[in-house]
Formats: sequence, C-alpha cells, structure tokens
Amino acid sequence: MQASRARLFKEYKEVQREKAADPDIQLVCDDSNIFKWTALIKGPSETPYEGGVFQLAFSVPEQYPLQPPQVRFLTKIFHPNVHFKTGEICLDILKNAWSPAWTLQSVCRAIIALMGHPEPDSPLNCDSGNLLRSGDIRGFQSMARMYTRLAAMPKKG
Amino acid sequence: MEDGVGSEEDYYDSDRESLDGLENEESDPQWVPAKGPSCKVITKESLLAAQREDLRRVMDLLSLREHHARTLLIHYRWDVEKVFAVLVEKGKARLFAEAGVSVVENHDADSPVLSSTETCDICMEDLPSSEVTKMDCGHCFCNSCWTEHFIVKINEGQSKRIRCMAYKCFAICDEGIIRTLVSKRHPDLAEKFDRFLLESYIEDNKMVKWCPSTPHCGSAIRVENDEFCEVECSCGFQFCFSCLSEAHSPCSCLMWELWIKKCRDESETVNWITVHTKPCPKCHKPVEKNGGCNLVSCICGQAFCWLCGGATGRDHTWSHITGHSCGRYKEDREKKAERAKRDLYRYMHYHNRYKAHTDSFEQESRLRETIREKVSNLEERDSRLRDFSWVTNGLYRLFRSRRALSYSYPFAFYMFGDDLFKDEMTNEERELKQHLFEDQQQQLEANVEKLSKFIEEPFDQYDEDKIMEIRMQVINLCVITDTLCKKMYECIENDLLGSLQFGIHNIAPYQSKGIERATELTVFWSATANDTGKFHKPDEQTGGTTESDRPSGSGSSDDNGCSSRKRAREGSFGGSLFDLNLPADVIDRN
Repeated sequence: MQASRARLFKEYKEVQREKAADPDIQLVCDDSNIFKWTALIKGPSETPYEGGVFQLAFSVPEQYPLQPPQVRFLTKIFHPNVHFKTGEICLDILKNAWSPAWTLQSVCRAIIALMGHPEPDSPLNCDSGNLLRSGDIRGFQSMARMYTRLAAMPKKG
Repeated sequence: MEDGVGSEEDYYDSDRESLDGLENEESDPQWVPAKGPSCKVITKESLLAAQREDLRRVMDLLSLREHHARTLLIHYRWDVEKVFAVLVEKGKARLFAEAGVSVVENHDADSPVLSSTETCDICMEDLPSSEVTKMDCGHCFCNSCWTEHFIVKINEGQSKRIRCMAYKCFAICDEGIIRTLVSKRHPDLAEKFDRFLLESYIEDNKMVKWCPSTPHCGSAIRVENDEFCEVECSCGFQFCFSCLSEAHSPCSCLMWELWIKKCRDESETVNWITVHTKPCPKCHKPVEKNGGCNLVSCICGQAFCWLCGGATGRDHTWSHITGHSCGRYKEDREKKAERAKRDLYRYMHYHNRYKAHTDSFEQESRLRETIREKVSNLEERDSRLRDFSWVTNGLYRLFRSRRALSYSYPFAFYMFGDDLFKDEMTNEERELKQHLFEDQQQQLEANVEKLSKFIEEPFDQYDEDKIMEIRMQVINLCVITDTLCKKMYECIENDLLGSLQFGIHNIAPYQSKGIERATELTVFWSATANDTGKFHKPDEQTGGTTESDRPSGSGSSDDNGCSSRKRAREGSFGGSLFDLNLPADVIDRN
C-alpha cells in the first residue's frame, strides 16, 4: 500500500516535470484518489485513428507496481484488440508480460503502439479482427476512421 | 564389486542345482544380480540427496553453480538426458537462455566502485548501493522491491520460476538471493519456497511420483528406465507407476480405468433397464413386461404399446391394438435390445470370472497363516525333511499367478470387445487371436487351480512319502504357472497389443519374482555435508547399485536390498520361515 502510493507519487511528479516531453500523451491523476488516473492520447499518424483524441481510464491496484494497472478506453474505438462495448484492452504487458519496471506513461506509449500495430489473431473485437484477417484492409480502415471521426474528434458545428 | 557379487551368486546357484535339480526356479537366467533394483524409495530425508545426484551431474558437465543447475533441471523437468540432448543440439547459450539461466562469468559491474547511490526503477527511490541487489542477468533493483516481488510470486505459487522484474528479461532469479531477502521479512514464506524447490524434484519429474497410498506414507518412488512398471513402496503399497492405481497388469492402464469405471458405476444396471423395461409415456417410470401381449399397462393406469412405447387406448386383441400401428419400427428396436442384451451377457461373463479369481485371491491371502502353522508343525516333527521353502515358494507363486489371471479377464473383455479396437482387426483376426489367448489363459487357469489345491492340502498330517509327492507337484506347478504367465504376457505384448496400429497400450512387463519392491535410496551425504564429501560418490549412486559391498554400518542398510538378502540367505540354511517384510525375490531364493 505504502509502496504503491510512494511510487505513484513519484510518477506524478515525473509527469508534472516532463509534461512537454511527449506531446501525444496527457496523463492526469484524479484529484482525490491517486489510484485513479485518466489519460488523453493522440491517435498515431498514418493510422485510421489519426486526428482522434482517445481517453483512457487507469485503475491502479494496491500491489502496484508488482501487479499491472487496469486500463480501458473510455472513447469508443474500432480496433481488434479493444472491446467495442467496454473498452477493455488485450495487451500482453497488461496481463502476464507485465513488469514492475513499466510506468503509467510507458503503458500509454505501449497502447499507442498497439493502435498502430493491431494483432488480429487475438481479437476482442471480432468484427474488426475478421476484416483484417480476411485481408479487407480498406474495409477495416474505413470503419475505424468512421468511428474515430464519430467518437474521437471534436464535433464541428 | 558388482562382478564379485555376480559370480558369487552364480556359484551359489549351481551349487544348489547340483543338490536339487528340481529347484529350477532359482536358476532363472533372467534375473541378473548385477543390474540391481531399478526402483528407489525417496523419503523426506533422502529427497535432497536424490535431487543432488542429478544436480551434480549437470553441475559437473556444465561447470555450473547449484542454483543454476536447479533452474535448468526444473525447466527440463529433471530429465538430465534431455538437458544433455539440448546442449548438443542447440549449444550452451540457447540451453541456458531457454531455461532462464544467466551465467555471468565475472561481474564487470561489481569491480568498478559503484556510485554511492543507485536509483531503483521500480520505486524510483535513490538508495545507497548496500540496499540494492543485482541479479545474474544484470538488472538491479532495491531490496525492498525485490522482496515484494518474491512474496507476490511465491504466494501466486510460482516459486519454481520467479523471473527478474525487468521487462522482457526471462532470467530466473537466484534462489539464494530470494531466500535471504524473503526470510528477512517472512521466514515461514522462505521455508515454503524451499519446500517448493525441493518437491519440484517429485512434482515435475516424470520418473518420480508420490506413492499413492492413503493415508499418504510420505514417500515417493523413482524408477530408472521404464515408467510402465509396477512397484511396491517401502510402506508395502503396490501400484502401477504409470497410472498410480493398483497394480493391474496384464491389463493396460486405459483398459483398467475403463474396467473399474464400468464395475463401479451403474452402467450395467442401466443397461439391464434399457433391455428389459420401457418408460411409461405418462409417468416415465420404467415398466417391465412380465408376459402377455404387447399392450402394457403401467401402474399409473396408462396403457402403451410395448413395441414402440407410444401411448394407446386399452382396446386391443392379441395381435393388434385398436387405432395403433407401429409395425415398421419393430425390427430395428428388437435388434437394438438384442445387442444390448448380448453386451450385457458378455460383460457378465468376464466380470464373473474376474470376480471369482479376485475372491479366490482374497481367500488365499488368508492361507499365509495356515501355511505358517503347517510348516511349523512339520518342523516340529523329527524327520529328514528340513527344507520347506517349496511351500512358501508355492504360495507366492500362487498369489502372483492368481493375480495375473484375474486381471487377464478385464484385459480380454476390452481386447476382444468393440470398445477399443473395433477398427484394428477384422472379425476373423479377432476370433483367431481370441482363441490363441484363451487357450493360454485356460491352461494357466487349470494349473493355478491345481497349485491351489495342493497348497491347501493338510500335508502336515501326511507321511513323508506323501509330502515328498506333494512337494514334487508344487515345485512342478510353480515352474509351469510361471512359464505360462510369462507366455501369456508375451502373447499380450507381442501378438495382441504389439500388432495394433492406433491404440497405444503399454503393460508392465511380467515379473517372475513378483512386483519389484523399491529400495531405499542410500544417502551418502547428509544435507549439510561438506562439498568434498559429495564429489566422489555420485557415479555409484546414479548407477543404482545397492549390491556393492559397503560396510554394513553405512547409512540405513537395514532396509537396503543388499544386506537383507544376505541375511535372508543365511537364514534359509537354518530352516527359518519366511518374513513377509522381505522383498519377494528374497523369499523366492530361500
């Protein structure tokens, strides 16, 4: 308990200090609870998510950093490894490949990387996985772009 | 040393043979004394020693430290040969990498003076270098984070493979460091960790298994070569090493599993019900037809047609139910019932015989006491007959053959039935093989019954000539049943199971001397013995030689095969009676 709090506090300070270091990620800690964080990440360029801003919710366990934080998308996203309804993310480092050396910041980076490189063989979103697996790249991209525009971009007018 | 024992044994045999040509059980050429017993009992005390043998071999070959060797062996499930095979095939680097062993020749990082403080990447604290620990893989974190990590992993039940905390580092942590760090905060957890490591030798090793006795005797058994064998633990429990149920050869493990399931559950009762009853269409109770025409009334008052089971009215004649016609289903239904009936009778046939022989076996086990009495009666009589080992030999031969015989029935049930090998043989082939097998089985059965008859005779009341005659008969029948058993096993192994294409069934080989009793693993060094003491012995250990002429004071020699065999042999000249605690082959040799 004490260790996780101390570590999160360190991470908080680190984030405050290097706010400008990674313009794609904006990590914010809940005002009243250091175990709850949210992040805004920018969809990587040359992907159907480009131009979108996606919100992530972090729930940090007391055993952190020995156990991984729970992360999910709050913004709707069409991606094979993200559950379309719950926003749950299928990523090895959030499960068995977790290492205590990861930070919330680096988890965000890993998620951005996942957006650019979907793994259609372990899909949480089967429709999206099937499109990719059947080779319908255009179909997948247009769906993903549509949802990015609908959910992750500021409404125009 | 071994040769010495062997020749002594040979001499002993030929000597006996010249004295008594009939005792050919003794001169079984198959029994090679130099080979020694191949099963070992591993107790809590000898577990460490048993582990050390394998560790030592790997440490010597790869010049590794003990904890690295253990990591390697846990990864390869204690299969030393496999470790060596991977070494040859893939090389040292791959072998180590796959198992998560990182051997650092010399810590470069250690030699230059570390900066006074280090930053731990986990808690992000700056700490003096005395409070951080660097693993063999080179990753360095603070002691408190390491400890937390170890505690989480041990509690998750992953003691055997605790990885480094760094991302994508697959190195297994040094058990010494784990032990030291964890015991500072949770001594009991450190003990648990040690026990997991120790017991990994049993849990992860396909050549070692816990003795399945209940209540558990606390020992494990290690076999040397063949996992398809039957062993007797030092607690006296006999079992099939492969499936851990009771010894069941010549049945294969799968056959045995199916058989006990079949005998235990009510599948045959259910079978009877399907053959002889039909459910009432209204209340669904099974209804038996006890005569009369095909219109059956249930006790609930519902009438139905016995042929199709459908509800009908009551108006009918002997051959026709008013307003009901189901004739075309008739044939099919009867065929089905016919088949179920045949299967049931077939099962009953085999089960009755199996049961009869197990019952006989149980009754004969009670003979032990009577035989003991008879022999002591005979010994009291002042006669020229001194040696009554043939009686006990006969009794044990009877037990063993009876056992084989009873288990040969479930074997035959599955071998020649439709359950397992339907597509493996044509009907003609099956018939041929069945005849071949049954001939042997019947011969064995006849001789076992004869042997039983002679053993049960009240020979202690007979005069000497008659006793001599019975003795002749018993000795002869012993040889015959032994040969027949062996032949039956050979027939099963080679002609029946050996020719199968798809079904893989292994049976434990025939042991003329009965189920092998595992010997205690002799501990050459105590757990805390210094290293020099450990170095020169392991070869002898792994050879499994307990025959070597060690001074009788070493270790727990009371239980090892060597000394007890010798003692027993001396005893046999004094005409002493058998000791049930001795291994079967000792008794045979008397």
